[in-house]
Amino acid sequence: MKTQASRILGILVMVGALLTPSPASFGQLGGVLSKVKKTADDAKKVVEVGQKLRSGFSDITEEEEYYIGRSVAAMILSKYPVYQNAPLNQYVNLVGNAVTVYSDRPEIYAGYHFQVLDTEEVNALAAPGGLIFVSKGLLRRCQDEEMLGLILAHEIGHVAAKHGLQAIKKSRLTEVFTSLGIQAAQQFGPQELAQLTTMFEGVLSDIVEQLVERGYSRASEYEADGLAVTYGIRTGFDPKGIVRFLQTMVGDKSAASGKGWFKTHPTPEQRIAGLNKQIAAFGEGPQIEDARTKRFQQVFSGLK
Amino acid sequence: MKKPRTLVVLLAALIVALAIAAADIVVVKIQTTQLRKNPQFFAPTVVALKAGDKLEKMSEANGWIQVKTTAGLVGWVHSSAVGTSKFALTAANKDMKTQATASEVALAAKGFNKQVEDSYRAKHAEANFAAVEAMLLIKVSLAQIEDFLKKGLLGDFRGVK
Repeated sequence: MKTQASRILGILVMVGALLTPSPASFGQLGGVLSKVKKTADDAKKVVEVGQKLRSGFSDITEEEEYYIGRSVAAMILSKYPVYQNAPLNQYVNLVGNAVTVYSDRPEIYAGYHFQVLDTEEVNALAAPGGLIFVSKGLLRRCQDEEMLGLILAHEIGHVAAKHGLQAIKKSRLTEVFTSLGIQAAQQFGPQELAQLTTMFEGVLSDIVEQLVERGYSRASEYEADGLAVTYGIRTGFDPKGIVRFLQTMVGDKSAASGKGWFKTHPTPEQRIAGLNKQIAAFGEGPQIEDARTKRFQQVFSGLK
Repeated sequence: MKKPRTLVVLLAALIVALAIAAADIVVVKIQTTQLRKNPQFFAPTVVALKAGDKLEKMSEANGWIQVKTTAGLVGWVHSSAVGTSKFALTAANKDMKTQATASEVALAAKGFNKQVEDSYRAKHAEANFAAVEAMLLIKVSLAQIEDFLKKGLLGDFRGVK
C-alpha cells in the first residue's frame, strides 16, 4: 500500500517537475538529482526516476527498435541464406510496401524491407523495425498476389503491434532502462558499454527465441490475422487470400513438423475459423483481379 | 500518508503543466519523411523532414497531423512518423528550449545505438550484418508503389480502370 502511494506521488513529482513552466525548474530538477545522488540511501530514487521516464516495451524508441531489429535480422540471416532472385525480391518488396501504406504503421524508422530466404521451410518472420522475411517454401504455396499480400500483411501486423518487442522480458527491460537512466554521458564508457552489450544480447535472445523457436502467443497470432484482414482490405486485396493459403497447409504434416510458421502458429484449421468470422464481419470485400494475378504469375515463373 | 495539502499543490502543478502542453510540439522520430501538401501519401512534398525536427501541431485528421515547421511551412505528416517527446512539452517556454533539447538528445543517444551494435558485432562474427545492409539497400520509392497500386487497381486506385 505504502509503495503504491509513494509511487503515485513520485510520478506526480516527476511530471510536475518536468512540466512546470518556470525556467528554473529544469535546473532545479538537476539540482535535486545531484543531491539525491550523494547519499547511498537515496540513490534508489534516481533509479526510480529513470524507470519512470521509460518503463515498458512501448517506451523503446524508434531508433532503438531499428538497432534491435538490425541485429535480430543479422541472426536470422546467419541461419538462412538469402534467395538470389532480384525480380522476385523486388516484387515482394512492392507488394509488402503497398500494404504498409494502408497499415496502422506506414512510417517506420528506416522503412520496411522484405527479403526472400532460400529455404524450403514454410516460414515468414518479422524482425522489429520492419525487416521482414519470407521463405521460398512459403512462396511456392502462393498462387496469386492476394495470398502473398495477406501473408505480408500478417507480418506487417506483427511489426505494427510491436509483438517482437513484447517478447523482451519485463525484468530485462527494467534493467536496461534503469541502467540508462542513471548514466549522464552521451557516449558510453568501456564498462557501461560492456554492461549494455550484455543486456542487448539478452534482448536479442528473448526476441529470436520467440520469433524462431517458440512462436508468438496465440493471442498475438490471432491479432496479426485480424490486422492482415484489415490491412489487406484497405489495400484492396481479397482477404480470403490468407484463408486459401492456410487451406494448402491443412493436414500437411511435413509443414507442421518443420520448424517454420506452422509450428509456431495455432493450427491452420483454428486460424481459418477465426479468419472467416473476421472477413464476414467486413461484408462484401475486394475481389481478386486478373491484372494482379498476371503480374504475379510472370514473376513467380522464375521461382526455382 | 502524505499531507493532503501536498497532493493538492502537486495536482495544481499538473493541471498547469497540462495546459501548457496544449501548445503541442511533435518531433519527427524516423530517419526521414516528408511534409506533404495534403493528408495522403501520394500528395506532393512541401519539404523533406528528418529525425529530431520539431513541428507545431495544428490539427489532426484520419491518422494525419497538420503541422507547421520552424520555418513556417505548413503541411501534413502521418502520425506514425512523429512522437510527443516528454521533454518537447517544455519547448513551449523559450528559455527552457535549449535545456530540454540537450536532455532530449542525451536521452535519445543513450539507448541501444550504433555504439552498442558495434560492440555486439565485435563479439558476434557469426551475425550476418552484410546481408542486413544489402537488404536495407533494396528500396522502393513512393512513385514505384503508386505505379504498382495503379496497375494492380489497388488502394487509392481501386476500380479505376
